[in-house]
Amino acid sequence: MLKSPHWEMMIVWYFFLGGIAGGAYFTAAIADNFGSTRDRAVARAGYLLSLPLVGACGLLLIADLGVPSRFLNMMRAFKFWDPMSLGAWAVGVFGMFTLVSSVLSLSSSESMAAVRRKVSLVGMLFGFFLASYTGVLLSNSALPFWSDARLMGALFLASGASTGIAAITLILFLTGHAGGEGWGKLKHADRYSMVIELVLLTALVALLGAAARPLTGGHFAPLFWGGLIGLGLILPLVLDFAGSRVRALGVLAAALVLIGGFVLRYVVVMSIQA
Amino acid sequence: MARTLAMFTDTSLCIGCRACQVACKQWNELGLEVPEWTGGYQNHAHFTDKTFRLVRFIEEPGGKPNGDLAWLLMSDVCKHCAQAGCLDACPTGAIYRTEFGTVNINQDVCNGCRYCVSSCPFGVVTFNEQTGTAKKCTFCDDRIHNGLGPACAKACPTESIQFGFRDDLVKKATKRVETLKGLGFKDAQLYGADSGGFLGGLNAFFLLLAKPSTYHLPEQPRLPQRNVVVDSLLSIGSALVVGLGVMLSFRERGKGGPDA
Repeated sequence: MLKSPHWEMMIVWYFFLGGIAGGAYFTAAIADNFGSTRDRAVARAGYLLSLPLVGACGLLLIADLGVPSRFLNMMRAFKFWDPMSLGAWAVGVFGMFTLVSSVLSLSSSESMAAVRRKVSLVGMLFGFFLASYTGVLLSNSALPFWSDARLMGALFLASGASTGIAAITLILFLTGHAGGEGWGKLKHADRYSMVIELVLLTALVALLGAAARPLTGGHFAPLFWGGLIGLGLILPLVLDFAGSRVRALGVLAAALVLIGGFVLRYVVVMSIQA
Repeated sequence: MARTLAMFTDTSLCIGCRACQVACKQWNELGLEVPEWTGGYQNHAHFTDKTFRLVRFIEEPGGKPNGDLAWLLMSDVCKHCAQAGCLDACPTGAIYRTEFGTVNINQDVCNGCRYCVSSCPFGVVTFNEQTGTAKKCTFCDDRIHNGLGPACAKACPTESIQFGFRDDLVKKATKRVETLKGLGFKDAQLYGADSGGFLGGLNAFFLLLAKPSTYHLPEQPRLPQRNVVVDSLLSIGSALVVGLGVMLSFRERGKGGPDA
């Protein structure tokens, strides 16, 4: 007779957009620090994408509260062992980093770029945190499906990476930067994170055993197998491997990865409310 | 901290009169709810935001030695765990422990994030749509701070619910189990009395006449926060593997790509 917390669509969106924000930021930071100067378009797209997304995350979190006007009460306490408390703080701190990085990415001066790279090395840690803590948050509950595998954080991180990278890919495509050197690198990184995501997802389902039933059986099963595993992971991987030279296939794959990332958060959060 | 207070619910004495359920509603002004048909006397099915004390009516076909239907009655309540999942989960500090060892939600601080709801191993805490806050048994915080026992214990006509200092009640309960065993109730057992046991012991503990699962209680409730370290370490591992992969993607191609 355990209770689910009635976290619904706003939290699904938050988990999804938070994953993209975190993933896009750390991808941008890595491209900025370890890539060539020609990867600057990737870095800029990542920084500029993470800023509005983390803003939207904050608004979603506040709107979902029972008493939204009391959202600052989250700042009354700091509990380092509590994902909800740490998360509230981290969204704020990460938001500052996305703002600073975005502003710095607009300048083309070399000294600004040096500062930006250093800032993003620290901000990156918060990006990783935002992408993964939502999974740890779920696994710190009394509900077996969310908690027993203890892989939810690791899985959400891999999904944050793949969706963040996919979102940057789409932005590059829309702004006419598709097909360059950064594009190929992004595709490579996206394939890599999707493979890890698939491995983690398999491990999660295997470890959960009967507790995975809300996901693998019942109402949500078609969405899980078809929407997430099929359309959201395997198909984009096939498209990317088979058609790595065809730009349209790369764009389609990126869109599918985003859909898959949303379906992942949707089935994990909503199947337990049923 | 003052001496820990507790409620001891001896289910062998419960007659299912629901005086506790009604007294709780009245004292705490919990208001009306639509009844739930569960196919038996059980109503409501579970704790709600307006039902903090709840008598469980458990029918055991063939449960009596002569093969008749056995009734197991139990007045259930928030356990006020010594290690409370809801309290650890609360990000605002609205959930706090009183000087008497009870666990309470400060309604003026709670902002309705609902993390405590999924963190309770017993499914006690409930979200209230009207106030936008989390609700549960307060151990009649106003009464115990004014020298009175909780309303449910006061109203109980059979002393199935007893209120007092925890150490006294545990001694009493231990004796009662011996007596019941002597009378032939071979499955009589305490639930949550042992402060070295699960969740550091429950400040509302029970004497059961059958195994806990018969009463829909978990045999070994665990603190949800037990997962935080392992899951965090695995997340960090995942971050390292993913981060390294992304880094190599940008590095390798940077050195020898087609247009390098």
